[in-house]
Amino acid sequence: MKKLLHIISVFFRSLTEVYARELRSLVKDQGVVLFFLFLPLAYPVIYSLIYNKELVRDVPVVVVDHARTSDSRDLVRKFDASQGARIIGYASDLDEARRAINEREAFAIMEIPADYSRAIGRTEQAQVQLYCETSLLLRYRALLFSATEVSLDIGAELQARGLKEIGVSSMSVDDPMPVVAAQLGNLQSGFDSFIMPGVLILILQQCIVLAVGMMGGGRNERIMLGQRPVFATGSTLITLAGRALCYITILALPIIWLTHFVPIIFRFPMMGDSLQIFEFLLPVVLSSIALGFIVQIFTSEREAIFIIWVATSVLFLFLSGLTWPRYAMAPVWKVLSDLIPATWGVNGFILMNANGASLTDIEPLYRNLWILTAVYWAIAWAAHTIVLRLRIRRARLRQP
Amino acid sequence: MKTGIRAIMARTLRELAGRPLYWYAIIVLPLLLFVFLTSELKEGLPAKAPAAIVDKDHTSLSRRVTSTLDGMQMVSLTKECDSYSQAMQAMRRGEIFGFFLIPENYEADLLAGRSPVVSFYTNMTYFIPGTMLYKNFKTTAVYTKAGVVMNVVQSATGATSEEVTPVINPVNISAHPIGNPWLNYAYYLAVSFIPGVLQLMIFLVTAYTICEELKRGTSVRLMRMARGSVVRAVCGKMLPQTLIWWAIALFMQSWMYAYNHFPCYGSMPWITANTLLFVVASQGFALFVCCCLPNLRLALSIGALTGILSFSLGAFSWPVSEMYGAVAIFTWIIPVRYYFLNYITLSLDAMPLYYSRYYFAAYFIFILAPLPMLWRLKKAWLRPVYIP
Repeated sequence: MKKLLHIISVFFRSLTEVYARELRSLVKDQGVVLFFLFLPLAYPVIYSLIYNKELVRDVPVVVVDHARTSDSRDLVRKFDASQGARIIGYASDLDEARRAINEREAFAIMEIPADYSRAIGRTEQAQVQLYCETSLLLRYRALLFSATEVSLDIGAELQARGLKEIGVSSMSVDDPMPVVAAQLGNLQSGFDSFIMPGVLILILQQCIVLAVGMMGGGRNERIMLGQRPVFATGSTLITLAGRALCYITILALPIIWLTHFVPIIFRFPMMGDSLQIFEFLLPVVLSSIALGFIVQIFTSEREAIFIIWVATSVLFLFLSGLTWPRYAMAPVWKVLSDLIPATWGVNGFILMNANGASLTDIEPLYRNLWILTAVYWAIAWAAHTIVLRLRIRRARLRQP
Repeated sequence: MKTGIRAIMARTLRELAGRPLYWYAIIVLPLLLFVFLTSELKEGLPAKAPAAIVDKDHTSLSRRVTSTLDGMQMVSLTKECDSYSQAMQAMRRGEIFGFFLIPENYEADLLAGRSPVVSFYTNMTYFIPGTMLYKNFKTTAVYTKAGVVMNVVQSATGATSEEVTPVINPVNISAHPIGNPWLNYAYYLAVSFIPGVLQLMIFLVTAYTICEELKRGTSVRLMRMARGSVVRAVCGKMLPQTLIWWAIALFMQSWMYAYNHFPCYGSMPWITANTLLFVVASQGFALFVCCCLPNLRLALSIGALTGILSFSLGAFSWPVSEMYGAVAIFTWIIPVRYYFLNYITLSLDAMPLYYSRYYFAAYFIFILAPLPMLWRLKKAWLRPVYIP
């Protein structure tokens, strides 16, 4: 019993020792503080500001109206009034309209045929063409939505008129089957509210790996210069655990900022229970730290971490399934995406935060995350043990 | 000690070839990301999105709606739920991205003219599947409704279906996407993200090679090799990198247009000029940052920050006109933005070269920008200080 108490006290003493030493060197290191605190504070704000208008509105459109009737003007007026389009003027023919596109004054041409009113009068279908420039999908999407809306709107108007003409009173077919559409999670289906909650978690993972990698790079650099590595009791696990605890302490602030205040400021969906979200983020943070420990091995000097890790953000963004759904991924990439903490973190966080899922709803996801954490920790521990042994052997060879 | 620009170039090449880090940064990582981005987006549009049907009616009419839905291009009905709450739970678990709900007594109500309400729900936190399902659900609803109205009209008047169709949808606005009629996602994302990756790596490697001299204190020797001329030193360091990046960039271009057949309706020589100038412009940008902030970590931080923000500020998916003015001005200082604009004007929209004139001019501003600031780099290189 006494022996056990002794072991526990030694364990805690060495753990706190590592913790305190790491905290001291971390606070003094500007570069790491930048990664741990400044980056998670500033990045989401910059990103959210870029997309903050949420929807693409009023895409400029130029009209070529061959009909020039009151019906065609009504169509143009309705299109102008819709959310996605704005009429900037009339062109006499398609060539003139095309010039407006080339000059980037407009991004679409609406061509109304000469027989527009006649077709409507004869209850034939009038064909209106909308030529869209396609450099940006979101612009096309806005125009398409508006076009559908306007055509249904005019359709309903003319339908009532037309049906009366065939002798059906409009009452009997008023709306035989009302349709209700609900867009969940992201009520106005805005772009910012869609992309940012996921990106927040990705930022968290990347900040952790960058900071941990930079700490490791500095350590490797000093060892190359001949400094002996310090380990509390020679146990790698205690050292890594002590450091991880230290990082978690520092990270508390950025995590609260990322998951609570950024969504409040930018009015992102917030359906989740904060405590459950923190509980969910624990394995995300732990596995990211372990990933950082693994990356440390390859980081020969402090600044090398930029080159090694920054560009992976693009990879992880796509792997997370945020922009490109995971069910449509090739098997190789799906397996790779399974191995990234942020993939689980992003999807879990979105489901909790935007769709109001509870931890029990996403239980399989949460369990996988813990398995991943365990695997990463095992690899980190093994890798660090091996590296330490190699270093000790090399040091012995150098000083016979 | 050999001096002169040739000696410096040889030294740079030895440096680049001697460190695994550079092999990783210049060859492995960019190529991996090129392949990844094109192969992941290869399909152009993601396959069918998983969705559920909640059929509370269980009649032939409601089953017809289900089969219409199942036949839709982008819907895959993976689940059949009995209730709204069950479907909602599947959505919260991330199993489905939307569901279509047919109410109880749907058929009976419809026939009796009691206007049953059909509803559909899409999860818009996942933009692509959400939008796809929304589109297909809506089409299904409109078709179903049109069929219902047609039945009512026909039974009331005895009119034929040809007579009735235009009345249901009298104005048809058909949208024609010019340039990318397939609306292929890869053509947007890969074509902008791949050069974005290249730009990021050019920023980082340039900053690293320029400012590493300060950290290791080797810049004094470098300046002696250049016989005191900072221009000679910079050229000797940058030119070998330019050649290597050009090789990578030309590979990138042929990878996109020749191997993967991305749409390209313009003239190849100008598109190639665009690629080559883009590389030098990115180097110029990074060099400018190094001159202003001759400090390894700060130069790399700025390079990483702008490099990563370029993916958003490049306005590849979100138009500049929808950004706040204070944010939008930053889109002007990003080389890859001009690459993208040139891609649109030269390749996708195939406009005359006249419309790219400003974009090409912008490249030269990036290339010349470091010149007036080189004195700062010279000062730092002559007295290297390392700040961790």
